[in-house]
Amino acid sequence: MSPIELQINGKAYNLEADEQMPLLWALRDLLGLTGTKFGCGAGLCGTCTVLIDGEPTRSCVTPLSAVVGKSIMTIEGLSEDGGHPLQIAWSEERVTQCGYCQPGQILNAVALLENNPNPSDTDIDEAMANVLCRCGTYQRIRKAIHRVAQQA
Amino acid sequence: MNTNHKTNQLSRRDFLKLAGASGAGLILAVYLEACSSETAVPAHHSPFVWEPDIKLRVDDKGILTVIAFRSEMGQGIRTALAMLVADEMDIAWENVRIEQALADSRFGNQKTGGSQSISSYYDKMRMAGAAARQMLINAASQVWRVKADRCYTKMGHVVHPIGQKEMAYGDLVEIAAKLDVPSVVEVKEPAQFHLVGTDVGHWDTPDIITGKAIYGLDVRLPDMLYAVIARCPVFGGNFSNYDDVAAMTVSGVRQVVDLGDRIAVVAENSWAAIQGRRLLNVAWNGGKNADLSSEGLRANAVERLPKIDSAGKNELDAVYYIPYEAHATMEPMNSSAYVHDDVCEIWAPTQDPQEVQRNVSAATDIPEKNVAVHIPLIGGGFGRRLLSDYAVEAARVSQAIQAPVQVLWTRDDDLQHDAYHGMNVHYVSAPLSPLKMPSIRLSHGSGVPTAAWRSVENFDEAFATQCFIDEMAVATQRDPLDLRLELYKGRSEEVIRQAAEKADWGDPLPAGWGRGLAYHATFGVTHVAQVAEVSVDEDGNVRVHRVVCAVDCGKVVNPDNVAAQMESGIVFGLTATIKAETTIRDGRVQQSNFNDYPLLQMSEMPLVEVYIVESDERPTGIGEMGVPPIAPAVANAVFSATGKRIRHIPIRPKDLKT
Repeated sequence: MSPIELQINGKAYNLEADEQMPLLWALRDLLGLTGTKFGCGAGLCGTCTVLIDGEPTRSCVTPLSAVVGKSIMTIEGLSEDGGHPLQIAWSEERVTQCGYCQPGQILNAVALLENNPNPSDTDIDEAMANVLCRCGTYQRIRKAIHRVAQQA
Repeated sequence: MNTNHKTNQLSRRDFLKLAGASGAGLILAVYLEACSSETAVPAHHSPFVWEPDIKLRVDDKGILTVIAFRSEMGQGIRTALAMLVADEMDIAWENVRIEQALADSRFGNQKTGGSQSISSYYDKMRMAGAAARQMLINAASQVWRVKADRCYTKMGHVVHPIGQKEMAYGDLVEIAAKLDVPSVVEVKEPAQFHLVGTDVGHWDTPDIITGKAIYGLDVRLPDMLYAVIARCPVFGGNFSNYDDVAAMTVSGVRQVVDLGDRIAVVAENSWAAIQGRRLLNVAWNGGKNADLSSEGLRANAVERLPKIDSAGKNELDAVYYIPYEAHATMEPMNSSAYVHDDVCEIWAPTQDPQEVQRNVSAATDIPEKNVAVHIPLIGGGFGRRLLSDYAVEAARVSQAIQAPVQVLWTRDDDLQHDAYHGMNVHYVSAPLSPLKMPSIRLSHGSGVPTAAWRSVENFDEAFATQCFIDEMAVATQRDPLDLRLELYKGRSEEVIRQAAEKADWGDPLPAGWGRGLAYHATFGVTHVAQVAEVSVDEDGNVRVHRVVCAVDCGKVVNPDNVAAQMESGIVFGLTATIKAETTIRDGRVQQSNFNDYPLLQMSEMPLVEVYIVESDERPTGIGEMGVPPIAPAVANAVFSATGKRIRHIPIRPKDLKT
């Protein structure tokens, strides 16, 4: 156990934790930021994705020691009230079903558009391939990403 | 206001209020008695709220709250139930709120399964809304001293017969609350609907996309602990003994609890609990199922198939095989419970809260009436959450440690301790002259727990029947579409015709490509036809490019949601058709995560087009109905592309390699 300071959504958080603890569990169980979801614990499903210095990162396999001093963004920090263009597009394209994977999907899409403001279907497939959705909302996710790209 | 979604970060005082606000009056009384030092709940200065029916409330601002007594897991039921009430009441969608009911027998059976919520409640929800609307009219007519049948309603208002004057619902609720519920009500004609048949989206979306939605795993109770459980990897087995010395050295692990048939590691956070369980040293005793294997189970099932002697008859026959399949919901199984003083409060992401209530009661010896079951949002159900094992575990652990606890299943727990879609073998046969519908006999595997899996036996039935009809078409040199149009009539025929037409059936495709058609009426009520367009490369990899789906589910409440559920069913079925299966060796499930139970991913997603047949027939269901036709549609398309007949799933590259 050691004192750790994390920068999350522009705010400093101080916590006492084992620095090998994956960021996911610190967010969810120690800091109450439950928007980041647990899906597989092995970096296989993308449900737990957060942005670390802008890079989409699987928080379930990222120890706290690796993110000290970096900028962490979770779904709670994407916008004040759901007003990010991707959140609006998610709503307008009627993407969500059970919704459990969607915070991870949205943050992966944020990083995709940051690097590639006008992605093709193939670009989207490549960037989003490892974020799983059992409800099968992929087609609508693609449309939502295109919708935002066209607005830019 | 959406009580169950706001359980995050409860203070102890909020916790008390929540128990009260959720309608569990008796539970609250017991709880308060038990915590007398903390009973100083501040007086609740709530606005006036009228509750004409247990399913709905209207407050003095005119806000309608619909009580969802079925579980929401992405299929859109909460939204649809609320649409039906709001439509009859003439209330605008932005003035509608949804609150999840607890387990409560006053709602009747709350089991969300079989895609039946809309067909069962289409009339009842509308009648409740129509009765409330009539009472608001009656209230206004009293105020104005005019005849009620001369007043009418317009979006949240009752309008005076002369026009000009109107009263907002919010200003009428106190008067309406004193009136009798009318014994006869008139519901709208479909042409008068302002919400039913329109696209209102999902009511839960704003919370989902901002990370505010509270799923089972997001429930946080004051002083809650976290537990992970070691279960015997062999179905029906137990542990002989265990050593928890190493587990207890993990920082944050509080306690290891012997539950008799499984062992819980309780900790201050999920990570410590997971680490602790990893270091638990357990000797397992598999018992009678320790030698089970998929191969053995399958051979057994084939042996038990009723023998048919078709020699000398002009008959076609074939055997089709379906393996075990896991539910693999994205949110793994979990529940949070607090057992104290002969009371159990439980937050269970369940499709059957009353089953949770019964089984928690049986396992803890707490009377059913003292078990309060809250239902958070559910991260995928597909039938898995009709069972209550995960909830009973949480109650048992909480009872043992006398503290609030969340039991978390890791992904390997979830894939290895499921109740699976059953393995089965179908023997299908039919005379070739005169042509008629094939007959089916089947046998199952045994020893592995099975349960409802999205569309249940319809998945297998559709696979066997629809693949076989294609075999009949080949044997009699007919087009698979033409043969189906001979065999199916009425609404069936219409969806088949529509899917084929929209899919350009008969138009040429590139070499190595094929089209396949399949039709199924899941539970005999919703008619779905699908055409899959696939290509097969020389390594035998199947790529599904396009799926055209036609559906007739009667009168449609939320059309975009019908399309979404068809897309969803197709993706769910494709995972089983070309990707994943659950296999057994030494009595254990071999798969442990998404590397070996791979779900269909974005890069494999076909273009899906959904066409809804317009209908004023009674609404049926949609949650499961998109699943069954996809496996045979793909298998038939693979035959069309390669000439290789598929009689089992998942379709493997080695089956098709040239």
